[in-house]
Amino acid sequence: MAEAPGSAASAGTRWAGRARDVGIRAGGLAIAILLVIIVFTLLSKPNTFLSLPNALVIMRYMSTIAIVALGLTLVIVVGEIDLSFGYMYGLAATLISVSWIMWGWPIWASIALAFAAAILVGAVNALLVTLVNIPSFIVTLGTGQLIFGVTLLVSGTQTLNPAYPPDGYTVPQDQIDWFFGLANQHLPFGIPMQGLWMIGVAVVIGFILSRSLFGFRLKAIGGNPAAAQLARLPIVKYKFVAFMGCAVLASLASMLDFAFIGSTQPNLGISLVFPVFAAVIIGGASLSGGRGTAIGTLSGALLLAIIQDGLALLSVGAYLQQFVQGTVTIAAVVLDRFTAGLRK
Amino acid sequence: MSPASGGTGLRIAGLRKWYGDTRAVDELEIEAAAGEILGIAGPNGAGKSTLIKILAGETSADAGEILLDGTPFDPRVEPDRVAVVHQEAQLFPNLTVAENLVVGREGTRALRRGIDDQERGLLADLEILAFADRPLGSVPLAVQQRTEIARALARDARVFLFDEPNSALTEEESTDLFRRMRALADSGKVVILVSHRLAELVEHSTRVAIILDGRRTALLAGDGLTQDAIAAELVVGQAQREPQEQIRIRLGEEAASALRLHDWTHDRGSFRRIDLHIRAGEIVALMGVEGSGARELVRSVAGFERGTGRIEIERRADRGAASGESGFVSSDRKASLFSNLSVGENLVTRLDREISTAGGALRRGRMHAVAHELRERFRVKAASIHVPIRSLSGGNQQKVAIAAAIVRRPEVLVLEEPTRGVDIGSKREIYRLMREYASQGHAVLIFCTEVPEAFEAADLVYVVSDGRLAEPIIVMNHPDIESLAKAITRLERHRGEAAVA
Repeated sequence: MAEAPGSAASAGTRWAGRARDVGIRAGGLAIAILLVIIVFTLLSKPNTFLSLPNALVIMRYMSTIAIVALGLTLVIVVGEIDLSFGYMYGLAATLISVSWIMWGWPIWASIALAFAAAILVGAVNALLVTLVNIPSFIVTLGTGQLIFGVTLLVSGTQTLNPAYPPDGYTVPQDQIDWFFGLANQHLPFGIPMQGLWMIGVAVVIGFILSRSLFGFRLKAIGGNPAAAQLARLPIVKYKFVAFMGCAVLASLASMLDFAFIGSTQPNLGISLVFPVFAAVIIGGASLSGGRGTAIGTLSGALLLAIIQDGLALLSVGAYLQQFVQGTVTIAAVVLDRFTAGLRK
Repeated sequence: MSPASGGTGLRIAGLRKWYGDTRAVDELEIEAAAGEILGIAGPNGAGKSTLIKILAGETSADAGEILLDGTPFDPRVEPDRVAVVHQEAQLFPNLTVAENLVVGREGTRALRRGIDDQERGLLADLEILAFADRPLGSVPLAVQQRTEIARALARDARVFLFDEPNSALTEEESTDLFRRMRALADSGKVVILVSHRLAELVEHSTRVAIILDGRRTALLAGDGLTQDAIAAELVVGQAQREPQEQIRIRLGEEAASALRLHDWTHDRGSFRRIDLHIRAGEIVALMGVEGSGARELVRSVAGFERGTGRIEIERRADRGAASGESGFVSSDRKASLFSNLSVGENLVTRLDREISTAGGALRRGRMHAVAHELRERFRVKAASIHVPIRSLSGGNQQKVAIAAAIVRRPEVLVLEEPTRGVDIGSKREIYRLMREYASQGHAVLIFCTEVPEAFEAADLVYVVSDGRLAEPIIVMNHPDIESLAKAITRLERHRGEAAVA
């Protein structure tokens, strides 16, 4: 083909350009992660922070944030915001525990109920955003509260544990074993099950964002909604999928945490809002839409998990943790602004 | 002899502003005397907007001198001395008319203040006192404009620059606006009117300066100031039709009609009861000033304005799934391109199965091959298809936007001002692409504001005024741009008079 040499050359510059791009982008984040690791290694007692068991603790801790944040990345890339995922997280575990333990449903039906609810919540969010044309910030602020109300109503605000059901209720042991097994398996080196779930989700979301037509168009729609409309891209459909994906992944993370911890209470998940948003933003997704990657979000979650874990090892107390997390998030955005200049 | 000889007024000399290689304003000379209304006319991209931006202090000139009443004047230092009045007021729609008048001039007082007697007098003079306590966003455009004038008067502005001020106003409101312009001039202000409407320029201006390619090429006054003279000056130096571009379909030949509008009426009233047929292979230009309905009509064919009546786009049996569609490119490049994507990605955004597997995975190889092919075919000058779209020149960006719309081979290609802000070289290529696409059996409909564009690109020109179509002008019957320009002006004038009568 006549254009073969040209395209080979441009493929070369393309890879060079992309490598540089990824380098500078990952550079800032990778340097930050490395820096934080060095600081904690120096500050902590020998062989506590920098050790395999601690690395696996970090992996488990980051998995919840990462799975939810990967879902939120879809919504952020398409140029919207979801504030309801924390409440969706609470609702999913509540629906599973209440229908399974209190209503005597088989576990598979309970899980199906939680995911059906997630799809419904995502669809309602998307419907109000696209067809009724209300800003997603307001929509999800409202649906979040609404979901929380439903959660409190359904749960009766009690803490439930299938292994110790309330008096008069029984849960089949084989179902308990299977369900807890979702997040507790004996794996080589003691790798946490949730870490594998996280990697699986990251691969799927990574494929969607970087390798699929859907992800390509999601970026186009988020980058310029006006142009997307004039190009007749299916904006409404894509926003539905993004919001539903976000709610479904929040439910998945919720279910896995329930299976890992063994019990659930309705107000879990609300504290996720900050770290999840922080992970997505640190990961380089643009809040104005059109930009975001799975690997970035994953790295953001990793950075936050390292800081959380490191500060816990140093026993600095909760107040300083909030302070440091806030600082790091802002620093990451500042760093992003700075490296954006270099990327051009 | 010159009205500016008294030394009062605005005098611009040697003004220059380049964007890269694009000479937006180049050694521009403009003189506007106090007491006169200076008209400025020029095609899109001639440098009018850059001049306005410089005078408004939004951007700085690379070189040149601006004198106001004989002393050097830097609009960036004293922006309040120049008031730019746009079609839509650039004010605070959420504040009341009165608040808009005082906002920014509260000084150091801690309490908000109402308007004082002097300001009240200003509003009364402009006959908008009754609206003082209404939010600006809720009052008619004409009142918003007068608020802007009042605001400028309160700030003691010296120069009033009206930029297409009446495109969205009714006939009556326009008349009133011109009356106020005259009053401003009579009170010794410098008044500049930038407009596409030749009739109004002739009627209201003392003199009219023509700007082409960033320079003032002519200055018309007195008996020499006529619509025909302006129209002729606007097309001076424009390229003549090239021989190979004269291959046009013969009118009257039985070609299939690709687009039919019947009794087609805008739901917001910009056009009414339009009947229009466009044949496959034909390029049809709709021309009309802002507010005439031409833009809305073109957008409605693409489905981006709503209309009632019948619209049919021919679905041809020998075409694939993409037939029966229209493809649209907006005149606003911000709304036709994805700035977060590369050149190649922009070219293929409208494709789906061509660049992906049945499972929805992106076929990067295919995507790049398609993008490469399009870049070659549309002669997009880009270092590679992977560079950001923003790194391209305006002309090449526009080629990408049009290529992206053509790539699905829509039956009707709808282009809104296809070469707005595009250099001459790219214009040529864009016309060639349009011609090529039409000759493959598609209809091309353009909204166009420049006569040379209609002359070079179109087979038929319909002048739209007051929401109605005039009888078509067959471009081939006109040997040169001047003759076409006259024919168009005549139809516009005709309509205008009919509307007044």
